[in-house]
This record gives sequence, C-alpha cells and structure tokens, in this order.
Amino acid sequence: MAIAALPQPDLAVGAYEMPQQVSLLEDAWNRIRRNRLALVGAGIILLLLCTAAVAALWTPYPVWLQAVGPTYQPPSLAHPLGLDQAGRDILSRIMGGASITVQVGVGSAIIVSLIGIPLGLMAGFYRGWVDTVISFFINIWYGIPDLLVALILVFVLSDALHLIPRGVFVIVLAFSLTRWMDVARLVRGQALALREREFVEAARMSGARDLGILARHILPNALGPIIVQATFAIPAAVLFEAFLSFLGLGLPSPMPSWGAMANDGYHGLDFAPHIALAPTIALSVTLMAFNWLGDGLRDAFDPRMRH
Amino acid sequence: MTAVDGVSFEVDRGETVGIVGESGSGKTMTALSILRLVPEPGRITAGRILFGEKDVVHMTDEEIREFRGADVAMIFQDPMTSLNPVLKVGFQVEEAMAAHNRFTRGQAHDRVIPMLQRVRIPDAPARVRDYPHQFSGGMRQRAMIAMGLSNEPSLLIADEPTTALDVTVQASIIELLRDLNREMGAAVILITHNMSVIASLCQRVIVMYAGRIVEEGPTRAIFKNPEHPYTWSLLRSIPRVDERTHEKLVSISGLPPDLSNPPPGCRFHPRCRYRVDRCFTDEPDLIDVGASQRARCWVLMRNVLAESKTDR
Repeated sequence: MAIAALPQPDLAVGAYEMPQQVSLLEDAWNRIRRNRLALVGAGIILLLLCTAAVAALWTPYPVWLQAVGPTYQPPSLAHPLGLDQAGRDILSRIMGGASITVQVGVGSAIIVSLIGIPLGLMAGFYRGWVDTVISFFINIWYGIPDLLVALILVFVLSDALHLIPRGVFVIVLAFSLTRWMDVARLVRGQALALREREFVEAARMSGARDLGILARHILPNALGPIIVQATFAIPAAVLFEAFLSFLGLGLPSPMPSWGAMANDGYHGLDFAPHIALAPTIALSVTLMAFNWLGDGLRDAFDPRMRH
Repeated sequence: MTAVDGVSFEVDRGETVGIVGESGSGKTMTALSILRLVPEPGRITAGRILFGEKDVVHMTDEEIREFRGADVAMIFQDPMTSLNPVLKVGFQVEEAMAAHNRFTRGQAHDRVIPMLQRVRIPDAPARVRDYPHQFSGGMRQRAMIAMGLSNEPSLLIADEPTTALDVTVQASIIELLRDLNREMGAAVILITHNMSVIASLCQRVIVMYAGRIVEEGPTRAIFKNPEHPYTWSLLRSIPRVDERTHEKLVSISGLPPDLSNPPPGCRFHPRCRYRVDRCFTDEPDLIDVGASQRARCWVLMRNVLAESKTDR
C-alpha cells in the first residue's frame, strides 16, 4: 500500500489552456448580462441613482419654489415638464422625487433586512421554541392588513406622539415594521436547510461558536436569495410611499413625493394632464425597472436555471 | 434502542487505533460520542469519556466547545460537502484556528500556508485563495486534514476519510495521515470498514459488531490470529494478492441485527457458522486471548481451527 514520494506533475505544460474557473458572483454576473430586461432595469435604476445624486446638489429650480411661471403651464423649453398648479417646476420636483424614492427604497430594503435576517436566522438555526415563537409572529403579521397598520403607525409616531417628524424615516419604519416577514421567512428556510449541511456540522465539530457558524457559514450561503428578496422590497416600499403620499398621509407638502405630485395633478387631469403624467410615468418606470432587475437577479442566483 | 453499548477502549498519546465494522455497527456513533455530538434524538445515557483527567460527558458548554477542534479534531468521509462553498479555503483554515485560543489572529494567518504545505497541497501559497470547488476531492480532504490539525489537537478522529475518494488518492491520504501522526504526534482514531487501510496505518484494531466491541488487539496479532469468528470472516472476505493459496473468499451471510431488538446471547450468533448452544443464550465477555488481544466469543477461532485439523 505504501507509496513512495509521488513525482509531482509538471503543471506548466504546453499550450493547453485551462478552462476558466468562475466564482458564484462571476457566474451570476455572466447570466444577468445575457438578460436584456434585467439590464434595461439596471440601466434605469442607474439613471435614477444619478438623478437622485444630482438632485441632492442641484435642481433647475428649488423644488418648493412656487410661481416660477404661470400655473398649469404645459411643457415648454424653459420648463421641459411644465409647471404645476402652484407654478412649481415639475422637472425639478421629479428630480427631487427621485432622491426621495431612492431614500425610501434603499432605506426600507436595509431595515427590512436588519429585522428579517436575524429573526430568520434564529428561527431556522435554533429551531424548537425559538422557531415556534418567531414563526408564530410571522404568521400573525401576515394576517394583519399591513396598509392599515402602517397608516396608524405613521399617524401615531408622527402626528399623535410627535416622536418622529413626518418624513422619509417614519415611512421607511412603518413599511419595514409591516413587511419584514418575507425576508424573515426566506432566511428561516435557508437556515433550516443550511444547518444540516456537512460543512456546518464540520464547523460545529471543530468547536466553532454559534455566532461564528451563523455569520461565516449560514449567512454567506443564503446571501443570493436575500439580495433578491431585498431587491423586491425596494419597489414595494416605493409604491407604499407614493400611495401614502397620494392619500395625503405620507410626506408633507412641499416635499416632492411622486405620489403627492400625482395627487396634485389629479385635480387638473382634464385640462393639464402633464402634472399627473410626469410623476406617474416616473413611478411606473422605476417600479418596472426594479422588478425586472429583481427577476433577473433571482434567475442569476438560482443554480437550477444554469444554462 | 442502544446503538453503542459497553464499548470501552483507550488511545495513548501518538497511537493510531482503527475501528472497523460494517455499517450500523456503531463506529461513527462511538466517534461522535467522544465529541458529545450524538445527533438528536440520540444521547449519551451512561458511561464516561475521559480525555486525560477531564470527563467529556460532564464538561460545560464552553469547555466542550474548546475541546472540540482544539483537543480533538474530526474529519469526515465526504470532503466534497465538508467545506463551505462560498469561503476561500485559506480563510476556512484560518477560521478553524481563530475559533480557539491557541493562536492569535496574526499567528493563525501566518500558519495557513505552512499547514497547507504540510498536507502537501501543491502550490499552497497560490491555492489558499481558491474556493473549495476549485480543489479536487483529494485536495479537499487534505484541506480538511489541515483544518483539523491546525490547532495541534492531541487526537484526530478520521471517519472513513478515504471512502469517497479515488483508490490512488486513498493511498496518498493514508500515507499523509501516517506521516502526520509521526511528525505531529497526534493520536489517530481511524474509522473504516476497509481492513487494508487499517493494516497500513494502525497499531491497534477494534472490531465492532452491533454496537459492541467483539475483538481488539494489536493489528499484527489480529491479522495473524483473529479469534472472533466475525473478525476471521472479515479477513477472509478480502482477496489477497500476496499469498498463493487458493482459499475461497468467505462472505458473511445475513444482515446485522436490528439494534432495537438485539438477539439474545451473543449478538453475532445468528450469522455465526461456529456457534454452539451457549451462544444462543449467554453473551460472552471480552476475554484475554493473547498479549493484549481480547475477543468476545465462547468458541474462539483457535479452537475451531484446531478441531478442523484433528478432523483431517
């Protein structure tokens, strides 16, 4: 059975080119690159991000400045998207709205993940009564009409108790507190499956702490689906904010929320449709872009979709 | 149901001990008990597991955590799934050390490449940045061994370390385990159902059947004079290339017993061709049958073989 020192093969032979090895992320990137719709979505999102960044520094007119021209003025060279019922420049307000949209979307994705990931990890990893309690709350939360609760939350936190000024943050918070379950449930499932994998067992046998196993072994392996889920949370939050603001329960005037702007234009739909059209198109395109990108990411991270 | 019962053995510093037996004989459960990692709903109901002076059964959670990995390391059958696919190999070796207090983070980082070189991973300085899927099966098992030995444990438990590997790779892994045992002085418990692996690596063998030790002793003695019919049959079931005899290969008919309902008497008697009346009712103890060789049998192969000679 004994084998004397084996001669090492000469690895630097000839012209044969080794097949390229790709990592998970490279592989995902390669696949998403071939997905046109996802690329279009990514392009639109990039444009949205740039607009938001620019709007933070500069807009053609201040978003709140009224009467820069005649009210209800249709699009013109000076004001490419026209003026609204208060004579504010709509292009400037769309740009400002992009900034709000990005804040709401990204903020919600982050807070939803911050709530959902730890809860899901605990439920899936520890199982037993921890899982029972967390799953119980997930199911209860699903049963509650989220819009209603979110409305009450915004009202109580900002208007009744004056804890948080009415603004982007309270909307993000209300959204996250009512929609954390998707991420939690997804992570729980991932953790349940991953904890049985042999490398987790091996880590336990080499004396790794629970926290180490969760952070090093379970979370990184669940990251793909989490990214996808977080991407889908963004359009949901954006729509949620626009909806609240449309009802007049979201961001206060004169903040340039797309939802509030749609409401502004709603009253003049028959004689000045450009006021409502601009924010609704911006909103629809943004929502579609995120959903396309989310779909693309889901397919790219799904190993069963490979080739 | 009792999966492992009355199993008692010692492993000395630097010793290599093999545990053989067929599937379901309790080999792996014995090993997992040593780490107190018997899968649920199983548990250790009685007995002691001494590591030096400390009893593993009564360690606190923090003690057992430190014990696993730092004092005793374990490597498994399937190196394909035992490494985390999303972390670089070098990082995983480093993490194995970081989980314990033997080395500082800096020391751990510096030890990764020497550890990989020690298990003979070619071009280790470059391969530390590879992911597990870029490694071959043999290299992954080497990386697992490097992880296991990185904290310089005094005992390494290898649970069928070569079963999932190619035969040529098997030989080199066994070779590696033997050299590491010599160089680093870590005792090795090798769990396998492959007798030839035992022969090439272990000083002592423990043969298990249906949750019990049926025979144990020095490898040489067991291979030369197996006394339990089960051991004897196991050895006769392997074709030999070094002897010109044309002995028929022996197969052991039947299946191992259902441990929730073990047979009365000797647990091997339903499959034993040398059984006597007593085997059906009384279970034999492990008795000394030679210099540090012990067997659990009423009959013993020496008597069987002597009888067959006089018959002729």
